[in-house]
Parts: sequence; C-alpha cells; structure tokens
Amino acid sequence: MMNSSQARSLGWAAVLAICLAVVTVLSFKVHAVKSEVLLAERQLISLEREKLLLETEFETRASQRQLAEWNQVEFGYDAPRAGQFLDGERQLASLGEVRGPDAPNPIRLARADIGETAAGEAESDAAMRSPVSGAKVTLASAGTEKGAGAVFTQAFGDFLIEASPIRPAKAETPRVAKALAAKGLGE
Amino acid sequence: MNMMAVSLTAPMNAPLSGRAIHTATPVPAGRLPSVTLRAQLLWLARVRVLWLLAGFAGIALVALLRIASLGFAGTAPQRTSLEEALLPPRGEITDRNGAPLARAFPAYSLWFEPSAMGDSGSPLVHAPQEVARQLKAIFPDIDEARMAKRLASGKAGYLRRRILPEEANKVFALGEVALEIPRETDRYYPQGSLAAHVLGYVVEDKGGETGMEQVLDARLKNAELRTQPVALSIDVRVQGALEDELRRGMLATNAIGAAGIVLDVDTGEVMAMASLPDFDPNVAGASGPVNVFNRATNGVFEMGSTFKPLTVAAAIDAGVVRDLSKRWDASPVSVGKRSIKDSHNMGASLNVPEALIHSSNTVTARVGDALGATKLRQTMVDLGMDRRPIIELPARGRPIWQAGPWSRVTNMTVAFGHGLAVTPLHLASAYAAMVNGGTWRPATLMKLAPADVPRGHRVFKESTSSRMRQMLRMISLYGTGRSADAPGYRVGGKTGSAEKAGVGGYNKTKVVSSFAAAFPMDAPRYVVVVLLDEPKGTLASSFQRTAAFTSAPIVGKLVPRIGPMLGVQPDDTRDVDISDLRYLVDKGGK
Repeated sequence: MMNSSQARSLGWAAVLAICLAVVTVLSFKVHAVKSEVLLAERQLISLEREKLLLETEFETRASQRQLAEWNQVEFGYDAPRAGQFLDGERQLASLGEVRGPDAPNPIRLARADIGETAAGEAESDAAMRSPVSGAKVTLASAGTEKGAGAVFTQAFGDFLIEASPIRPAKAETPRVAKALAAKGLGE
Repeated sequence: MNMMAVSLTAPMNAPLSGRAIHTATPVPAGRLPSVTLRAQLLWLARVRVLWLLAGFAGIALVALLRIASLGFAGTAPQRTSLEEALLPPRGEITDRNGAPLARAFPAYSLWFEPSAMGDSGSPLVHAPQEVARQLKAIFPDIDEARMAKRLASGKAGYLRRRILPEEANKVFALGEVALEIPRETDRYYPQGSLAAHVLGYVVEDKGGETGMEQVLDARLKNAELRTQPVALSIDVRVQGALEDELRRGMLATNAIGAAGIVLDVDTGEVMAMASLPDFDPNVAGASGPVNVFNRATNGVFEMGSTFKPLTVAAAIDAGVVRDLSKRWDASPVSVGKRSIKDSHNMGASLNVPEALIHSSNTVTARVGDALGATKLRQTMVDLGMDRRPIIELPARGRPIWQAGPWSRVTNMTVAFGHGLAVTPLHLASAYAAMVNGGTWRPATLMKLAPADVPRGHRVFKESTSSRMRQMLRMISLYGTGRSADAPGYRVGGKTGSAEKAGVGGYNKTKVVSSFAAAFPMDAPRYVVVVLLDEPKGTLASSFQRTAAFTSAPIVGKLVPRIGPMLGVQPDDTRDVDISDLRYLVDKGGK
C-alpha cells in the first residue's frame, strides 16, 4: 500500500511523462508542418518560374512585329475610322430614337419567308427540322412535360446514333429500332 | 548507479549471512573464504558494469561532440526564401502599360562534364560517335564528326550555349550523365528588335550597353530595387506601329535609314522612338552590335523647311509679323555671295500662311531677316537647339551650331532650316513647345506621374501657339502636308526636304526628308516627327524625293493606327478653327 506522498510523486511522474510525450508529438507535428511549408514554397517558386516562362513565350509569339505581319498577310484589319466611334452616351442614345408621329416605316431587310409553313402551325411554333434527315426536331422548352433527357433523346437520338461508330443496342430510339428490325427481317 | 548497485546487493547479503550463522556452528572457520570470494566476484561484476557504462557514455559523448561540431562548423542546407528565389538577377524593364520589354529569362545550356560519372572510366555510357549521332538528331545543325571528337577529348565545356526546353528534355532522355543541362539566366527581349535603340542590350559579365540598359544599370542590379520593374514612357503598341510604318516607308523609298519619334506635348514623355536600321538586342551582347547608331537622338541633320514654322512663330511672338495678310516679296534674295531661291516660282509676293503652305525659302528668309539674328538665335537657344538633346539616353548628338553672334547670312539660312543641324528629337521638342501653348519641356523616356511633370519654360506666347496650330493645320489642308492628313485626326504639320551637306557643298542627289506634325490640332496631344535619310525617287513615291511624297505619307498612315491607342478619337465634326485665315490662301477656287 503506497502512502500519499508516494502516490503524489507517482502522479507527478505520470504528468511529466504525459507532458514529455505531448511535447514530442507536438514537435514532430511542427516539423512536419514546417517541411510542408517548405515544399509548398518550392512549388510556388517553380510555378512562378513556369508562369514567367509561359508569359514570356506568349509575349514573344505575339510580339508587335509578328502581329503586324499576321495582320498584313491574314487579317487585313484597318485602323478604325471616325464613323466607328461614338462620342458618349448622347450619341449612342440618338441611335435609338423613338419614331416620330408621321415618320415613314423603317425599311426592313432580310425578312424570312414564312408563306410555305403549314396552315396549322403558328409562326412561332414552326418545328425545327434536322438538316440531315429532314425529320422534325423538338427542343426542350418550358412547355414540355417530359424530362430533359427524354426530350434530348427524342431530338438528337437518331442523329447521334447515326453519327456514332459505336452502336449499343440499348441506346436506340423506338423508331430506329423498328427500322433496324425491319432491315434484319429483310436480310 | 553505484549507489543503486550497493542498495540492491544489501538485501541479498542479509539471508546469506543469516544462513552462514545458522550453518556455521559445526565448522565456523571453513565457510569464511567462500563468503569473501562471493563478495569479490560481486565487486568484479559491478566494476565491469561500470566500465561498460563508462564506455557507452564515452561513445555517446564523442557522438554528441561530433554532432555539435557539425552543427557549428558544417555547411547548413541551402534554404532560400520565396522572395530570394524569385528575385531576378537583373530588374525587368516594361513599357508604360506594364508589357515586358526586357526581363531575366531562365534558359538552358548544354554542358559537357566528363567527371560527372565519378569514376575513372569513360565519361560517356555509349561511344562518343553514338552520342554525337544522337545529338545530331536533336540539333541538326551540328557537325557530327567534330562533336564526336569533342566528346572523345574529355574536356569539360559548353557544347551549346542555349537550347530550348524541349531540346533539353530530349538530351535528358539520352541518359548520358556527362551531358548536363545547367539552368542559366538570360537577358531576354520578348519584342525582338522593337525599341532596340531605346533599350540597348546587355553584355554578359559587363552590364548594360547603349540605351536604357546602360542608363539604369545600377538601378537594375540593385538588390532592393530590382524586384520592381522599371516603367519606361514607351507604349509598345505605338512603338510597333511606328516601326512598322517607318520600315515600310523606308523600304518603299529605298532610303538608307529612318528615324521616328512620337512625343507627348504636355509632359515630354516619349511614346515611341525608332531608328532604322535596327539590331536585335537578344544577340547584340554576344555577337557584337551593329546598327547601334541612333538617328533619332544621335544623328544631326539640317532639317530644312520643318524649321520654317519655328521662324514664323518667333516672328509672330516678337511682333514682327502682326498682319498675316501682309504680302512679302518672294523674289530671290542675295545675301553676300549667296543667293536664296525658291524651289519653284510661287508668284511675286506671298503672305505668311501662303509662304508656309508652299514652303517658300525666300519669304521665310525675309521674315527671319526682319526678326533679326539676335531674336531668332535666342528662340533657338530657348528651344535647346544649341546643346545636346535632353533625354536619358547616352547617345545624344551635338548640334552643328554656329558659335558667337550670328551673321545676317546665318540668320537667313537658319530661318529656312539650313546652317543648323539638330537631331530629330530637338525638332520634336521644339514642335511640342510650339503647339502646346508655348512651354518647352525636356523629353524623357521614363514614365512620369502627373506630379513629376517638369514645369518647363515658356518660349512662345499662348496666342502665338494658337496661331501656329491654325497655320500648321492649313499646311496639311492646302499645302505640302496633304498626304499626312489622316481623316478625322486633324493632323497639322510641315514637310522638310534638305539636301545633305557633303564635301564641297550640298549634295544634289542626297536629301533628308522629314515631316514634323502634331495631332489633333484643335487640342494637340502628340507630336510625330518622321525622318527619312536619303530616300530615292521610286514608284511608291511617284519618283519624287521630297517629303510630301516620302515622309508625309508615313505620318498619314501612322496617325490613324496610334491615335485610338493614345486616346485620340477620330472625329469628322471637329477641327481647329481656321475661318479667320482661310481667305488668305483659299481663293474660292477649291
């Protein structure tokens, strides 16, 4: 049976041991963080250097002389003329002036011919047609009840399957599946 | 430890001695030697343990001493801070908007290090011929046989001074330890030869040469200051446009050289400065410079007719020319042994605006004569024509200036731009003073904060300046400067074509054609001076050598390109008001 002073000293020793252990662990941790910081710094340096390299390369490839040569050979841009500048908001506003009470109708160019549209279809509802197959294409719109995925499949499914070299059986839309089935019967 | 050993042995001795007493009754004397033997043996064991401990302690001490000596005397591992690692060996030079013009650039070189393998065997893994063949595949321009010999010789040294990163990767992939790819820092000019005369170049181990590299050498090397780039007053886009148009004009007229300056009239900042032919500062340091002569600040030329507006301005300022409608005699003037004539007959008499528009030598000489030598000389001194131009560059030409009081002949020849040779920069600064309200300011290549703009000194009155703006605009509307009149930019300027002075008088076939202009003339912002050295009559210049066909069109093409970049918008509805002078030249015919 230990007396109280023995118990106390044992307790102190235990506290000391725990403190030592904690200090050791902490110092390990500090060193680990320090070396991490060092690594990060090195990475920063190498990235900064790379940035400098890339920036300089860009500056070199897009040097004024090179740009002038490209412009002369390929683009042919000219210096802007006086008519291409606006002298403040007032001049900008003057372009959007409200039509006077007895002004003539403005001339409209590039008007779309909508005479051949089917009578049942309103102008705004004219269906988009696939440029390849000529089939009607329905795009996702606010009024559509179906999910976006279904709409997309309906609109572009045939298109994508025809274009894709890989033809997984499950990706076919019913119409194409039918066509393929028919083809399979015929052969 | 000793104490512990003693205390440990004590309880062990107690039962032993007890047993000895208990069994010692029959033969007490016979047991004693074994007890002492046991004690001796124990003592021996303790001593041995102590020796062992001492040995361990000694070794630990030696190790600690070694660690301490290493810690104090040994070389510490290199640990550079972020700032130190990114500090360039030489500061960066940028244009006024921060676009880099010169920077320290990491480059790779190819170094042959025979001792890299660390043994006495062959420095290369493969045969030298094989390695040379592989190197030839990477660098097609090398001599394979010579490279093989070089590798076989086993001498360390550069195989190639500069290689590209992808080439460095290929060399690394060869797996030859002796082929090292050390990283070195180069002075690199991303824009190539652009603004070469402004920047100069760097010679390795020596420092900057010519241009701002030399001027700012100490600043660019200073460890505290070189982290911050130095901003020049140059605008790289304007510089590019100026050099492009100047080069085109020079080639079109087959001239031997050209110079151009774009100067801010209110601050004296040089927006662009070019001299052709130029050099590539990237290679100038290693291969030795060619074409370093800067025509814009170092070349002195008799500017010819571009001086006429300055004479007229001085005369208006002095009150000699008050009435611009006054007619001056335009017949040839004989002064001493010389006779001053016009290039062609312009009529018996001309008023001052007409004299400028048609570039009449005779009338300008008479105006100069009426003004007097003292006053014209003083104006030229005020405009800095008697000394080297004021700019940071080390290459500054000394004007050919008549020392002492001027004679009447000198005065009259200077009045139309002869007998006084100055640099194009002199002319640009003088024109800036003439159009900005009359204040002359020194030119600078450093970007100025608004507070740092020098006050300058007054040369012309405000009223004179505004008269000159009108008349310069009229020259490009009605006179010789029409090909420089870019629509919407209100360019005003004067042509000048002077025969080059050679041995035994003026050379009839060699001319210097110049054009000095300012825009926009209703509120001048920039002066443009363009000069062509010895242009020839070509198809592009309609077989003419005069400035109206050679240098003025350059300004006409340049101004629309640089105007929007410099914040000058073209505007067809604005112009300087010339209504009070128009009737003097526009006789209603046009």
